[in-house]
Amino acid sequence: MIAAWRYKPRSTVIQRLDPRARMIFYLCFLFSVFMFWDVRILLLFLLVTVITILAAGLSWRETRRTWLFLGGFISFYALVTLITGQVGGQFYRVEHVIAAIQAPFTLLGWQPTLSISIERIFLALSQLVRVASIAAMTILIPYTFDPALYGITFRRLGLPDKLAFALDLTMRFVPSLSRDFAMTMDAQKARGYELERREGGLAGQARKLAPLLVPVIVHSIISAEEITDAMDLRAFGTQPRTWLRVLKFNRLDYAVVALGLLMLAASAGANLLGYARFWAP
Amino acid sequence: MSIRVARLSYAYRNRAEQALTDISAEFKPGEVTLIAGASGCGKTTLIRCINGLIPQSYTAGRLSGEVTLFGRNNAVMQLAEISQVVGAVLQDPERQIVATEVMNEIAFGLENLGLPRDEIRARIIKTAELLHIEPLLARQTFLLSGGEKQKVALAGVLAMRPRAILLDEPLASLDTASGHEALLLMRELADSGIAIVIIEHRVEDVLEIRPEHCVYMNAGRIVYDGDVPGLMQAVDWREIKLPAPVVIRKIRSRHDQHVEPPVFARTNSAAPPLIEFRGVGFRYEDGPEILHDVSFAVRPGDIMAVIGPNGAGKTTLMKHAIGLNRPSRGLVLIDQQDSRQMSVAQIARTVGYVFQSPSHMLFAPTVREELSFGPHNIGMDKETISANLSRALDAVNLPDSAELAPLAMSFGQQKRISIASILTMSPRVLVMDEPTAGQDYANYTHFMDDIVSRIRADTETGAGYFKALIFITHDLDLAIAYANRIVMVVEGQIAADGAPHEVLRDESLLARSRVRSTSLLKANLGMLDRCQRFMSAARLAGLATLQDGPA
Repeated sequence: MIAAWRYKPRSTVIQRLDPRARMIFYLCFLFSVFMFWDVRILLLFLLVTVITILAAGLSWRETRRTWLFLGGFISFYALVTLITGQVGGQFYRVEHVIAAIQAPFTLLGWQPTLSISIERIFLALSQLVRVASIAAMTILIPYTFDPALYGITFRRLGLPDKLAFALDLTMRFVPSLSRDFAMTMDAQKARGYELERREGGLAGQARKLAPLLVPVIVHSIISAEEITDAMDLRAFGTQPRTWLRVLKFNRLDYAVVALGLLMLAASAGANLLGYARFWAP
Repeated sequence: MSIRVARLSYAYRNRAEQALTDISAEFKPGEVTLIAGASGCGKTTLIRCINGLIPQSYTAGRLSGEVTLFGRNNAVMQLAEISQVVGAVLQDPERQIVATEVMNEIAFGLENLGLPRDEIRARIIKTAELLHIEPLLARQTFLLSGGEKQKVALAGVLAMRPRAILLDEPLASLDTASGHEALLLMRELADSGIAIVIIEHRVEDVLEIRPEHCVYMNAGRIVYDGDVPGLMQAVDWREIKLPAPVVIRKIRSRHDQHVEPPVFARTNSAAPPLIEFRGVGFRYEDGPEILHDVSFAVRPGDIMAVIGPNGAGKTTLMKHAIGLNRPSRGLVLIDQQDSRQMSVAQIARTVGYVFQSPSHMLFAPTVREELSFGPHNIGMDKETISANLSRALDAVNLPDSAELAPLAMSFGQQKRISIASILTMSPRVLVMDEPTAGQDYANYTHFMDDIVSRIRADTETGAGYFKALIFITHDLDLAIAYANRIVMVVEGQIAADGAPHEVLRDESLLARSRVRSTSLLKANLGMLDRCQRFMSAARLAGLATLQDGPA
């Protein structure tokens, strides 16, 4: 039940945009957010995400599960940051501890202590906002991007025919793969297989997955062979191909691309001038 | 001008035996050709030689002889050229469709040829009109039904305006009504001047569109090449499924007395039900309800066929019996216990469920490990497992295969291993989803005969024996030949439940359920007074001969 099935035609501004403009804006947004650790600026990016989500016109009903999953994932991530104070890299030298929570037990003579500092709180907060803006922006794509347009979008962005069509093919077979997986899961459950049951060490755990993975992989390989045959029989890759779909840039699309590039340039500038660094009061 | 195959022989790389030996044949425009033959007879290889995949994609085999496509040797043609002369519809449309949207799928070949957009659009519309699929153009291909998928796959081929179309088992995944529709379309295309070549073991269905030309292949050779009456003479009825009257005539005229008199299990209606559905309704999450108020009970001795059109909810229904689906309304009882309080693994001790496709479950390096997987999961001890293992392999007629690799076996063998791997868990009810899919007649008749003979309504069962059998099928004749009870599922409801001769007598019910009558059904209805119940054509003939003497 993933990706390609969630798309629905909707008459929203976002789905009227040229898919290339959307892709370019998305990439600009992504790289811009990556540059910042200052939660005040990151909140601006979150605002952009929220506006985009509202403009996408998704109903709560169809997206509920996704948002709940995403919320759980982001909170967990932020919590880990809070506990460890690490996100890969040194962000602050001095910590202002406001509370130290000592565990009521000891491990081999060591008493785990969680010290909460202003810096840690703000690092966790930045992380939360960063991941939230990027993840929510990304989650929108399968809901609002017509799966039939991936190939032509990237062809017109400069990818060669074969590579661009490979994207279409991927979109076509994502639901098939997920269905194969569900069928295999059902077939093995009917043989008393329970994924939840834990036994053995790491090797045992890996072996435990074989009944699921082997059939799905074997199935994919056989399918891939037949699909290649079918494509050969319809003259794929013999000459430059026509793409039936035509994409057209409108004034709004130019505006969106310009906005994206402007955002990227401004972010890069701010970064160079040192405004992007971690901030805590 | 036609397709000519001359003295064609082929062997795949690394295989000693020939896939094709000295094949010569001609396929003419305006004609429907039926190629019949059991699995492994070389039909698919012949198609690959004609459409150029051999030798252009399968480069490493040994090929001799030649194929001429409307005057040109296909060895000197590019695949792109061949594709505009010969179109191929592969066995599984699911693996032929490459685009997410129907419109793009029909356009695919034309885009690859680099045609101008206007031309492509015009051809899409024309092809869609011809196949009556205009309403599908904007749909997503993944969500189409089996019959729709096949039409779309055909449209993608037809749009390239080939002069011949080759179809590899086009009926395999279709219910009888959709299959018949597809065949009528083939007839129309042939009448418009295209050469149509259909490889199929559902021979009787293809005969309905009056093929001009029939070829019968066996072990890589052409055994027969001629018209329909000649084919009926040439073919062994045990190998290929022929119309019931033909089988009956053959057996009676040849004094062919190897047909066993029928032995049928009887339902023990006094025994408590093994599985019981009480007012079951079902929906996926927020979706609409797809099963409505389903009630029935399965008792020892039942051989129950669940039939109905594609998409009627047969599999959704039967997945409740193993706990993979849980009722949204009502109750499912397994051994008189509420299934909601049981895990799938617990239910699996009572109900064995064999899925349609063996490739979705086989994973182990050896048959022994494959067969031990289920019983090990449900906590059987080693001695019982190993005793069950040999009994299960006997049951599927693969006694010496314990050390072989399941993934390297033929499809028919894999199917039987998938059944054996459920039998080792010694379930008391066996459920099979489309047990005959992808198998030829001789293969499935053999194992269905065997499975049915393993039902013991009254005594306690061990591995390889069980108390009741349920099979889901869209093959009406399979239900007629083996079942003592038919449950007809239509639009998520049980439209009828009873003995085959009671349920299938109702013509208006059949029409409503999109089930097409067959010659076997007609033969059985004609002889019902004498036989008292439904049975296979061979048994009908045997019984008639016993009563009247040879014809």
